[in-house]
Amino acid sequence: MFRILVVALGILTGVVGCSQAPEGEKIIKIVVVCPLTGDIAAMGQGMKRGAEMAVEEANVSGKLAGIKLELAAFDDRADPKEAVNVANEVISDTKIVGVIGHLNSGCSIPASSIYDRRNLLMMTPASTNPKLTLQGLKNVFRVCTTDDVQGSFGANYILDKLKITTAAVIHDKTAYGQGLAEEFKKQFESRQGKILSFDGINIGDKDFRALLVRIKNEKPQILYFGGMYSECGLITKQAKELGLTVPVVGGDGIFTPEYIKIGGKATEGDYASMIGMPPDKLPKAKAFMDKFKAKYPQVDMQPYDPYTYEATNMLIEAIEKTNKEPLQIVNYMSKIKYAGILGETTFDEKGDTLNKTISIYQVKDGKFVYCE
Amino acid sequence: MFIEQLVNGLTLGSIYALFALGYTMVYGILLMINFAHSEIFMVGAYFGFWLLSCLPVFSPQFLPAYFLIIFILSMFGAGLLAVLVERFSYKPLRHASRLAPLISAIGVSIFLQNLVMLTVSAQSQPYPEKLSIRQFHLFGVQINSLQIFIFGLAILLMIILKIFISRTKLGKAMRAVAENHTVAQLMGINVNTVISLVFLIGGGLGGITGVLNGLYYGSIKYNMGFLPGIKAFTAAVLGGIGNIKGAMFGGFILGIVEVLAAGYISSIYKDVIAFVILILVLLFKPTGIFGEEVTEKI
Repeated sequence: MFRILVVALGILTGVVGCSQAPEGEKIIKIVVVCPLTGDIAAMGQGMKRGAEMAVEEANVSGKLAGIKLELAAFDDRADPKEAVNVANEVISDTKIVGVIGHLNSGCSIPASSIYDRRNLLMMTPASTNPKLTLQGLKNVFRVCTTDDVQGSFGANYILDKLKITTAAVIHDKTAYGQGLAEEFKKQFESRQGKILSFDGINIGDKDFRALLVRIKNEKPQILYFGGMYSECGLITKQAKELGLTVPVVGGDGIFTPEYIKIGGKATEGDYASMIGMPPDKLPKAKAFMDKFKAKYPQVDMQPYDPYTYEATNMLIEAIEKTNKEPLQIVNYMSKIKYAGILGETTFDEKGDTLNKTISIYQVKDGKFVYCE
Repeated sequence: MFIEQLVNGLTLGSIYALFALGYTMVYGILLMINFAHSEIFMVGAYFGFWLLSCLPVFSPQFLPAYFLIIFILSMFGAGLLAVLVERFSYKPLRHASRLAPLISAIGVSIFLQNLVMLTVSAQSQPYPEKLSIRQFHLFGVQINSLQIFIFGLAILLMIILKIFISRTKLGKAMRAVAENHTVAQLMGINVNTVISLVFLIGGGLGGITGVLNGLYYGSIKYNMGFLPGIKAFTAAVLGGIGNIKGAMFGGFILGIVEVLAAGYISSIYKDVIAFVILILVLLFKPTGIFGEEVTEKI
């Protein structure tokens, strides 16, 4: 069912795209792979929007002389098994020269080695687990910074700015969630903070009250969560109902308006760390924000829209400057110096961005507000 | 802490117990596991969601009446859907092999899930918060009004159901059909009507459980029925499937065990522990806890 839908979507975008293409234009395809359905689809839909905006602009600007760029969106449902299936489907299409995705680290890691078989560039705007780029694959680049930076930043912020020394940690056992929680724990403990408990939960669970009652009796000053907004929204809601009224701190996985929708009033005062500076604080990002508002007036921007936009633009530059062979694109990317909406991006030899800013936001009056 | 966990367990158990009644009633009368019941639960939750979003509360003093209307309409909507499912997917297969309606039920379940996913939303949706939840502190234990309400409503509905089945004429007809379709028919009971009635009641209970689940957890999704459905089915088997008292106790036992396992042992292994207990019960008492009362299947 999903597959039919996705293929239909691909054909539809293809048809619409082709109808505008003059005769004799060469077609080059790129794909964006992210969860378009399921619990965290809101974030994935945002990635798709970012990629669509970049491709549309490139086609309109005409900087790719004689080339018609096509974007296809694939759905990995945030499921590592499905991510591998999609990756195999992607490498079987030789017109595809680059991949933007995936969202979840748990999906990016197994999929990356499949793309590597065809030297296909994979640019992830969102997967933050350090292991992704430690595999020694040359085709993998990430525009966002990693969990070790983010986890320890969160720990430092809590210790230094909130003056809090005891924390309880919950994670969702995924590569991203557990990875982030472990990095947080490491840094928090190395600076004499006390971790009172470290628990995993199952994705898709709805009832966390039993765990939260136990944590309440440990009397932590803060609750750190490694995982996505769908679980964290329920955790913060149930925690506050049970009288565990300490703030919840999460990573980029909860930094979305959907978190506040699910958690409701209980999210007030919670914190989220997010990679990069807020887009409205960056000079070049202003234009992107305006374009986004003009194109999607009804939509709340999700955290990875700008990152995907940036990653797609970098891929387009690589296509523009090379002979369009996958390997050439990968080589170009390793030396790129791109000044875009996130500031200047260059990659280290592993493929990680050297732009490592982290920001902290707090929920105030139903909105994430930038703290530092 | 133990009392607090027990409160959580009883609330979760109430949801499982109400949910399990639908499985057990249908099994009692048709000897069939209605796998589509978890989707009746889901549709009930969505039906309540829709009603809560559309109907305004005119004044705070109407709130009890407002929720009464929401519950009755959601129950009726879900019950009606269950009757339609039975009419079109199970009834034509009533004389086929016992596997046929089972497969048909799985098909209905997949169909309804995908229908809601494609027509409503593929994402979690926050449930409207029209009920302000009050917190109570009793002897150092924190209980909220919604937990008391869910437990109270579950007990009330089960008492009404018990009285209906043991004291009324229709209840008597249901028991008769559960015992033997042919003989019941010979006694002048309209078997089809009785079966429809069972689906109406079971589906209605499933629907109201869906609404309670939505109010309690605050978010719903097209596949929300699957896991609680498996658990409720487990509760029905634990208590002795086909037996109403069994479904109630099975639900409460499962809810409490799950919460205690999550609170005292590990939140990851809570499902493992709950299901290990099920396996142990079935190994030593294959008919479930109340299984010996075979004669009174419903």
